[in-house]
Amino acid sequence: MDKIFIIPSKTGLGLVILILLLFLLGINFQNSLVYAVCFWLIALLLINIFYTQRNLSSLSVTAIGVEPCFAGEKAVVEIALSCPANQRKFALQLAWPGEDLVQVNLAATPAARIKLSHATTQRGRFQPPRIHISTRFPTGLALAWAYVTLDVQGIVYPKPVERIFAQQGKGSTDTAAGGVEIVGGTSDFGGIRAYRPGDAPKHIHWSKYAQTGKLHTKVFVDYSSHDVWLDWNDLPMPGVEVRLSHLCSKVLEYHQAQRQYGLKLPGKTIPPGKGEGHKAQCLRALALFGVKDE
Amino acid sequence: MNRAVGDNFITYSGMIWLLVAQLVVMLPFAFDLPFWLIPVVLFSAGWRLWVLSGGATQPGSLLKLGLLALGVGGLFLRGLKFPSLEAMSALLLLGFAFKSLEVIQRRDALVVVFIGYFLVALHFLYTQSMLAGLYGVFSLVVLTGALIGVQQTVAEFTAAQNVRFNLKLAGFMLLQCLPLMVVIFIVAPRLQPLWTLPLMTNQAKTGISDHMRPGDIAKLSQLDELAFRVTFKGERPAQDQLYWRGLVLNHFDGREWRQFDEQYDLWQLKQAVARDYAFQPGNIQVQGEPVEYEAVYEKTGQPWLFTLTTALQVDGDVLQAADYRVMAREELQAPLLLKAISYPQAVRDRQLDPFLRQLALQLPENGDVRSRELARHLRDEAGSEQEYIDKVLKRFSDQQFYYTLRPPTLGDSDTIDQFLFESQRGFCAHYAGSFVFLMRAAGIPARVVAGYQGGEWNGQSQYLAIHQYDAHAWAEVWLPDTGWKRVDPTAMIAPERTEQGLEAAVRAEGSFLQDSVFSSHKIAWLNGLRQRLDAVQYGWQRWVLGYDSDAQADFLKSLLGELTVARVAGLAGGVFAVIVLGWLLMLGVAQRHEREALEHQFYRRFCAALAKRGVVREPGQAPGVFALQAEQALPALASEIREFTRLYEGICYAPDGAGHAAIQQLKSLLGKFS
Repeated sequence: MDKIFIIPSKTGLGLVILILLLFLLGINFQNSLVYAVCFWLIALLLINIFYTQRNLSSLSVTAIGVEPCFAGEKAVVEIALSCPANQRKFALQLAWPGEDLVQVNLAATPAARIKLSHATTQRGRFQPPRIHISTRFPTGLALAWAYVTLDVQGIVYPKPVERIFAQQGKGSTDTAAGGVEIVGGTSDFGGIRAYRPGDAPKHIHWSKYAQTGKLHTKVFVDYSSHDVWLDWNDLPMPGVEVRLSHLCSKVLEYHQAQRQYGLKLPGKTIPPGKGEGHKAQCLRALALFGVKDE
Repeated sequence: MNRAVGDNFITYSGMIWLLVAQLVVMLPFAFDLPFWLIPVVLFSAGWRLWVLSGGATQPGSLLKLGLLALGVGGLFLRGLKFPSLEAMSALLLLGFAFKSLEVIQRRDALVVVFIGYFLVALHFLYTQSMLAGLYGVFSLVVLTGALIGVQQTVAEFTAAQNVRFNLKLAGFMLLQCLPLMVVIFIVAPRLQPLWTLPLMTNQAKTGISDHMRPGDIAKLSQLDELAFRVTFKGERPAQDQLYWRGLVLNHFDGREWRQFDEQYDLWQLKQAVARDYAFQPGNIQVQGEPVEYEAVYEKTGQPWLFTLTTALQVDGDVLQAADYRVMAREELQAPLLLKAISYPQAVRDRQLDPFLRQLALQLPENGDVRSRELARHLRDEAGSEQEYIDKVLKRFSDQQFYYTLRPPTLGDSDTIDQFLFESQRGFCAHYAGSFVFLMRAAGIPARVVAGYQGGEWNGQSQYLAIHQYDAHAWAEVWLPDTGWKRVDPTAMIAPERTEQGLEAAVRAEGSFLQDSVFSSHKIAWLNGLRQRLDAVQYGWQRWVLGYDSDAQADFLKSLLGELTVARVAGLAGGVFAVIVLGWLLMLGVAQRHEREALEHQFYRRFCAALAKRGVVREPGQAPGVFALQAEQALPALASEIREFTRLYEGICYAPDGAGHAAIQQLKSLLGKFS
């Protein structure tokens, strides 16, 4: 947790006005006890700063993880909060302003786990912004806050959107009759496309290189067996995101149907399989497609 | 345990807190202000609780307006004057009571708490007793508890635990504030009032009044209320010399004694004191030993102060008049502290001012013929004025005069005659009045003085307490050689009155405080307790209530030697620093930050171990998801990975269940990965 900031809250400023009024009352009626109340409130205002600061200090905030989500959904970050066992914290507010706000106490136990959600718009990696953690406890006369940068990244899967396209017979990955995939009705050789980093050297179309001076890669389409292949190259629609969204919806569909499926993306092939782990691997590949690894 | 809060609404228990705080704050006002405000609060509070429990709807604004109009109308009908402090507090209380009808949001709740703080202070304008002070502290704790309660939007405890927790925290915070409050109290400058506002419109007046009918003092003598307390700097004068002079009554109309021929109010009196009745220090011939003392007068609603003759150096915001009285500028609404040096042997007015002489010789046109006759007769017999005075006094002691608190009622006219020749039973007022009458009838300037005589010595704490039953009246006679001289005819009839006090003087009669059978004066051990308690209260008055700019200067001088801004600031700053340091130590603000919990450390190591085997966890990858990935990549360790993750998540999700054992298990499992 970074530095703790602390300022008098609006309530605190209200109390300052009250204190001034009491001081006037004390002066006007020369009343010692009115003065005493006035000065007591001044002292309260001051000591409260330390109380509020303490309520936020020595707090450990650890991000446990981010549940993967689909673009457009809320990414939920799980956060573990803890304080020394001999302390208690009350009315802590963790927030992404405008996104989500959670109030939590660390009273019965010195640790708690909360979930905070943040909207996502784009597939890929999700880096949660720093958390605004604040408290006004105990009296609300002061406001203390700090920012916590979470050492955590989430994965945002593409938004699953299925596209139904007309050329059902050709290039579709969706025939699925008998589980035999007929890809393009051609031979093993699937075509040529521009070289992408990560393409295997043996697939480089050297003769094309000699002609054009640019690297091209030969794309091969496996004929396969009974496994279903979700192949990037078989999709007729344009647009990277559209294709990814479509593939994502298919992964979910096959997973739901408990079918064996594999995923082929330019530069990445996930052999057919099934189960939660396989689904996660596929979705992850879709999410991180074209995203630079740091 | 946690819940999203988008609202600023307060909880049910917060609402109950607020209502309790309101009642606590308003309770003491029930004695000073319209009693019907209490049902108003209860009504509003009941409605609010009803709304909260879902039984009723929010009151409409028309209803609220109607109620408010009723309330304000009620205050007007009760005859409150506007603007006065009393009216202000009544209005504030009314608003305070009605506010609970519309407290829904935290903002409203804060307004209620702040008005509550103000009302606590306001009540100290009515009374500043120790009891009121203690109750005020209690109210502050409850209000601060309510302030804390309003902040809590997540219910952590049961309602009872909540009350205990909030009260404890509020009490503890205020206790920690106490030293700083005291320091500010000591050093904060005491300024002069900026404007005056009438405090109370129908303030009860107690003590000696500005006119004297014979029965008045007898009534006072039945009261064991405190009038004032005195501390002497040096030696205490003998008991029978303690004549606390208050008012001078110059004018007799045949039935009662007044200050002047007309009934002066305070403003007129101040006008007189500013002009032809002004204090003339030059007319005092100082001689003899001074008596230095400090007195704290209870609030009486009257301006009279009581000093020993002749008060010369007087500290405090007071007036002195031609008759050597000392009086306050305003009616006492709060205890007043006075420091004075008196010279009992000083000679006053060797030359008598004609105006004063005229006042001191005034008699009614007619009436009391026998008394006038007696005066002429005795004066003719006596060779000198002094001899005449002695003769009159001797007549009181020789004849069958009785000192009694139960004198027979006298008629409306010729009261002096009735007393001197018929009843011959009376109280100090009868003796003083008739004595002065006889003096004036013989052409000797004389006047009645009303005040207190004696007092109860508190040996433990070395001070004198003067009660209402010490009220007394005596006479002053002017002679060219001696100036004004005190003569107490009562001492002729009942010498024990001035030597031992009223209780001794009327012992045989049994009339001392006869209306209060269970008075602590009459029970020995209670009497000791009463004196001790009284001493504490006196300390409270002198050191707390009487801490004004003079007392502040004295106290700081005794601490610092010389008063300079730098020294006072240094003292205040130093003490402030010590207090803040104390706070820091007490609150442990300076302590080091919490280390990351063990389970998270272990999980980090677990991830590192798997990374070595080629399965890298994305930062922030959910443990469950990562476990699936790792299980696939490392089938040999699949069960351990699953178990470790299950344990870790278990600890994270149920922190209260995560004992030492679970952490140890996690640690031993970790060994399998290295």
